Amino acid sequence: MSRLPAPMGLLIDRNQPLDFSFDGKPYQGLAGDSIASALLANGRFLLSRSFKYHRPRGPLTMAGQDANTLVQLQSEPNVLADSHLLESGVQVTGQNFNGSLDNDNDAYLGKFSKFMPVGFYYRSFYKPKGAWKLWEPIIRKKAGLGVLDLKFQPEYYDKAYLFADLAVIGAGPAGLQAALTAANAGAKVLLIEQQPVLGGSLTYARFDLEGNRAQTLRRELVDAVEGHANIRVLKKATCNAWFTDNYLPVIQNKRMYKVRATQCLIASGSFDQPVIFRNNDLPGVMLTSAAQRLMKLYAVKPGKRAVVLTGNDDGYLAALDLHDQGVEVAALVDMRNNPADRALLLALERRGIVCHLGSTVFEALHEKGMRHVSGADIRKITGLGQVASSGLVLDCDLLCMSGGYMPVYQLLCQAGGKLAYDDQLAEFTLSGLPKNLTVAGSAHGYHALDNVLADAIHAAAEIVVALNLELTSKPLATRPEAQVNFPWPIFPHPKGKDFVDFDEDLQVRDIINATKIGYRDIQLVKRYSTVGMGPSQGRHSALPTARLVAACTQRGISETGVTTARPPFEAEKLAHVAGRAFDPYRQTPMHKRHMDAGAKMMPAGIWQRPAYYGKASERDACMQAEALHVRNKVGIIDVSTLGGLDVRGPDAAELLNRLYTFAFLKQPIGRSRYALMTNEHGVVIDDGVCARFGENHFYVTATTSGVDRIYQQMLKWNAQWRLNVDIANVTAAISAVNVAGPDSRKVLEKVCQDLDLSAEGFPYLGVRQGTVAGIKTRLLRVGFVGELGYEIHVPARHALKLWDALMQAGQAFDIRPFGVEAQRLLRLEKGHVIISQDTDGMTHPAEIDMGWAVSRTKPFFVGRRSVDILEAQPQKRKLVGFTLPRVSPRPLEGHLVLSGADISGNVTSCEYSQSLDKIIGLAYAAFDQSQPGQQIPIRVEDGVIVHATVVKLPFFDPENQRQEH
Amino acid sequence: MSSLNTESHIEPAPLQLGTLEQCTLVDLTELPRVGFRGQQSAEYLQARGFTLPDAPNRAVTQADGSHVARLSQTEYLILGSLQDRGERIADEQARWELDHSANYLLPREDSHAWLQLSGVCIAEVMAKLCGVDLRCAAFPPGAVAQTSAARINVIVINLGSKGQAAFQILFDRASLEYFKDAVLDAMAEFDGQVLEIEALQ
Repeated sequence: MSRLPAPMGLLIDRNQPLDFSFDGKPYQGLAGDSIASALLANGRFLLSRSFKYHRPRGPLTMAGQDANTLVQLQSEPNVLADSHLLESGVQVTGQNFNGSLDNDNDAYLGKFSKFMPVGFYYRSFYKPKGAWKLWEPIIRKKAGLGVLDLKFQPEYYDKAYLFADLAVIGAGPAGLQAALTAANAGAKVLLIEQQPVLGGSLTYARFDLEGNRAQTLRRELVDAVEGHANIRVLKKATCNAWFTDNYLPVIQNKRMYKVRATQCLIASGSFDQPVIFRNNDLPGVMLTSAAQRLMKLYAVKPGKRAVVLTGNDDGYLAALDLHDQGVEVAALVDMRNNPADRALLLALERRGIVCHLGSTVFEALHEKGMRHVSGADIRKITGLGQVASSGLVLDCDLLCMSGGYMPVYQLLCQAGGKLAYDDQLAEFTLSGLPKNLTVAGSAHGYHALDNVLADAIHAAAEIVVALNLELTSKPLATRPEAQVNFPWPIFPHPKGKDFVDFDEDLQVRDIINATKIGYRDIQLVKRYSTVGMGPSQGRHSALPTARLVAACTQRGISETGVTTARPPFEAEKLAHVAGRAFDPYRQTPMHKRHMDAGAKMMPAGIWQRPAYYGKASERDACMQAEALHVRNKVGIIDVSTLGGLDVRGPDAAELLNRLYTFAFLKQPIGRSRYALMTNEHGVVIDDGVCARFGENHFYVTATTSGVDRIYQQMLKWNAQWRLNVDIANVTAAISAVNVAGPDSRKVLEKVCQDLDLSAEGFPYLGVRQGTVAGIKTRLLRVGFVGELGYEIHVPARHALKLWDALMQAGQAFDIRPFGVEAQRLLRLEKGHVIISQDTDGMTHPAEIDMGWAVSRTKPFFVGRRSVDILEAQPQKRKLVGFTLPRVSPRPLEGHLVLSGADISGNVTSCEYSQSLDKIIGLAYAAFDQSQPGQQIPIRVEDGVIVHATVVKLPFFDPENQRQEH
Repeated sequence: MSSLNTESHIEPAPLQLGTLEQCTLVDLTELPRVGFRGQQSAEYLQARGFTLPDAPNRAVTQADGSHVARLSQTEYLILGSLQDRGERIADEQARWELDHSANYLLPREDSHAWLQLSGVCIAEVMAKLCGVDLRCAAFPPGAVAQTSAARINVIVINLGSKGQAAFQILFDRASLEYFKDAVLDAMAEFDGQVLEIEALQ
């Protein structure tokens, strides 16, 4: 492995050899190499096989801008070998071949390309009827690139915001100069560069005969930028999109930065463009910039004998670079009749390099197997895309080409920029950028280095003014410069293989045929032919496609345009988009106690609640035991997740009276009242209790998952009503437990001495403020589970102390904690509905037998008018209680209730009740199925129909003697 | 969020931050704090000897080291001082009673957890959690941001000085474990460390 001497090899460390393998064969590269540069340094040019015809491919751009270098790593397919940093020990293999990369058994497909024109998938495999089923598995087997590692372990990716006065995309000469100019004026600048080093084209291109200017200028600019306190540099970072107001996703390593920049300057440069001729895809045929990158960045000699094909003066400079590094330049082929700078021609001639003017390469030649270019057939250009019938054949192992440049317009077009084609310059220009977004450098159409710098200063000056800063640099004038694009670098060959799109193996005739079939619109040509749909996303195919479609449809290129450039700019991983996921969860103060007690947790909204205490495999037994314990002794449940709202002020009662269906104006202090809320459509949206602790103070509970919505509703309505009231969401601030069961009073008596806890002193639905275990509490006598019970509400910081005290006090009564599952069973036995489980987006109060909770005397509540209208209609359905024998198949929530052949409702809750030794449940049924004693057919698992008996609710303790005791 | 750049901040006495490493996190959840809201809250608090911020989303440090943040036209959040372990503020909470004046106590000690993030990298740490620019130039001492971080609501108060950044972060108390983990995760790349409250004494 030999490398060119320094200063070639900007990126590599010659003292750090790295061993790796490619297709099982060992190789050695250097630290700083890309996988491709290391392979090329070893003489290995064939890196991949093309997508459709399995043609051998080598690097085209050496900048990660094409699919020619896609390789497979052990755990990652489709890695771009020309931009992926070489690592020690990495095992690289080729992909998309049948047999071996060097001898691909599918390479014969190229010979059948005539029979596989664009769109042949659409036209060939659907006839006769049913044929697609035959073809599909064959095509699917051939489709797809690379192999996924299904044992891949997820890695840590994250996101972070970055803020800047100015974000500069691209650290070439324009980006560096603009960043400096703005930073010198005081702007905080973020400079984003895709490559590992700053400088852009200054790192590889040649700008003068002597070949010194780029290196000197780069050193000056980079030193100034890297030492500037106002500039932050992100290297190996890609700005993958532009979103409104300069919101820029920038990917660097395993992080996506979400950049927020007041101003954005895009100095993204331009893409070197290929020339289209037969076999322009052979290994050894590459862009001139790729050959220059190989030499200057990696010290790799790209060939021994070169032909340089160009449409601009840059090809001459590249030929000088090649010659300087010991590559024999067999010829320079200029498609123009003369170079813009005659001194370049003379310089080449002085070196003995023959220049063929007004000529082109008509065909790249190769040995058998097409593994490398072996020569070039050079012809005189006789017209637009026309060449002489014979020419000169030159041997070469390197064929460099440069047809011109295409601005890196993707981000600019995402921002709304419009492309127009300048026929005189044969290149696209941009206009219509939004405010606070600027473009500079070759992306702006300036290619001469002095003009690039002047344009950058000009753009930065505008930005500095927009940032209200003072400019410290003097503006420079731009000068007229030579044209860089050859107007028609497309030379169709009768035998084809003149590739317009390397990713998709699309030839000139494929594009022409698409237009002949009738696809005139460039977007339709894209979709029909798949041009621009590969990894390079039209970087090299957009311009020739626009030219071909325009010519075929007798329109201007501006009129034809290019396809839409959507984000992302380059392939990004889902891991980058996902980043470090934030999944908020809430825990009650007693969380650790639950875990210590062996709770199986379940989500309730974003709260974590104990479902039951015990093993998951014993869920039913645990839940049934907990429920029975509450019925027979005493249980304690953490209800801290219950929504809590403090409503205070002179109009507190009035607010609740308007919001809830019941009447609250005359609610006595020291009492709670059930509170049902409907929306404007009369649909039940939440329930709870309103506990009145003072003339101007209500403590309102709401469902765990509904409280945030109810709080918003209260604020929204009161923003209109402007009542004199304060509404505070105290859900997290107030924790609560429910002590329930026949022995609950005895437990409470042990820790509460300042309240009369007797049935008379603290009756059912009473509320009190007292001291429990030395903690000031709010106590509510409630009956959700149908037993004597007390909800004890305390400030969150004291909740753990309360829990411990109650557990201690309850020891003598065999108190045990119970979870949400047991609570749900207990309330089901009482026929209490859970809003959103037993109700849906249509439920109105009468359907759930809650007519009693609707005041008919007060003039208004939210939803009143709708409730009246709904109740005036014939009722169509009703929530009913049903029972089934213990041995029956148990219906699950969602199972359908039938009425003849029709669906009349669905099961909303169902469980086996040990207390009743029956399966009990709630279900919506047709109104004419809702009378107690009627049978309702329910379709359960496997389509089995069970006939449940409708019963009057509640199932258990219909006289409510237990809870009101 | 508004008025981030209002220059009405009373420069606080330097906080005792223990060590000024890249970033440190202290859980101050046990330190008293309280809120008041209502048309008469300002009058009430001034009568109780507090100096109030003159605009929403501003905070001022009191002579005793406690802090008052103004969250809206009529809402105030008072953070206890390390000097008296928040005793003054705990007393304020205890003495308040609901009467007919429009001044309602908000139980911030129970509703909100409180973390202090200090050090030279805290703006970068928060940038991994929050979309608001909290760099010193945009979020100077005395500024308050009521925003979202790691997908939960947070109040961020810059109570540091120009050379000594310190964010007080208040958020749902039930989310303490979740949010603390998120902050620690964000701090990891900056060699962040956790200090006990005693380290601030």
